[in-house]
Amino acid sequence: MKHPLLKLEPLIWLLFGQGILLGTVLLTPWVLVVGLAIPLGIVPADALSYERAIALGSHIVGRVILLGLIALPLWKGAHHVRHTLIDFGGAERDALVAPLLYLIATVGSVLALVAVARI
Amino acid sequence: MSRNAHPQAMAPAKPGATRTAPPQLPDRFPFGGRYLAYTLFDLTGVLYLLLGLLVLGAVWSLGSGESAWNAVLERYRSPFYVGFHAIALVGVIFVGIRFFGFFPKSQPPRIGSVNPPPKSVILAMLYALWLGITVCLSIVLAGGVFR
Repeated sequence: MKHPLLKLEPLIWLLFGQGILLGTVLLTPWVLVVGLAIPLGIVPADALSYERAIALGSHIVGRVILLGLIALPLWKGAHHVRHTLIDFGGAERDALVAPLLYLIATVGSVLALVAVARI
Repeated sequence: MSRNAHPQAMAPAKPGATRTAPPQLPDRFPFGGRYLAYTLFDLTGVLYLLLGLLVLGAVWSLGSGESAWNAVLERYRSPFYVGFHAIALVGVIFVGIRFFGFFPKSQPPRIGSVNPPPKSVILAMLYALWLGITVCLSIVLAGGVFR
């Protein structure tokens, strides 16, 4: 019987590829501004005051961007970590590791949907 | 001297009719020569996984109310988070440069009846997209517009 993960391989590779392409494109400004510029005082903290963050995040475009910003990097991460573990430790544990990593990405993606809906 | 790889690493689903030599890990794997960039690219998976979870936490907090959101911004000011985001930025830029470098090489020789653009044009378009979105979203996040 074909392993279920092999059947899902095209979908996993699609999400992995978009995780690299769109994930990278979206993460760069997020990390630059939210992770570095605001904490270091380069950008005033009120740029992302609660009211403004809610206004940006609750817009339909904002929700889509935030969803991509969470879900796509999770899939890129899960797939790359899986292959790193195969490279270093062989495929012996892959039957356990791969479903676990993809489960994290799946649950994270579902939670991302809930998180953007809650804004 | 090359080392033994996992004996089942390249095993076919059914044993072949003839015996084959066990697979070998390349001499310079994982950090020698060109394997360094390959291994580092793989390891950025950990960064992306952590970043995805971190953004999820931040967005969840935003939906939980003002005090939760302010706590996230306050937490991000700690040296630990600033250090992590500095490493993450380097990692994200490394992934972008490496992946965009692959992209033109992976194009088919022909797309239907037309040839794909030259590699330099594809690369320029990718970098323009990356830079453009980075600048636009940074301006929005930093409060330059939509205030």
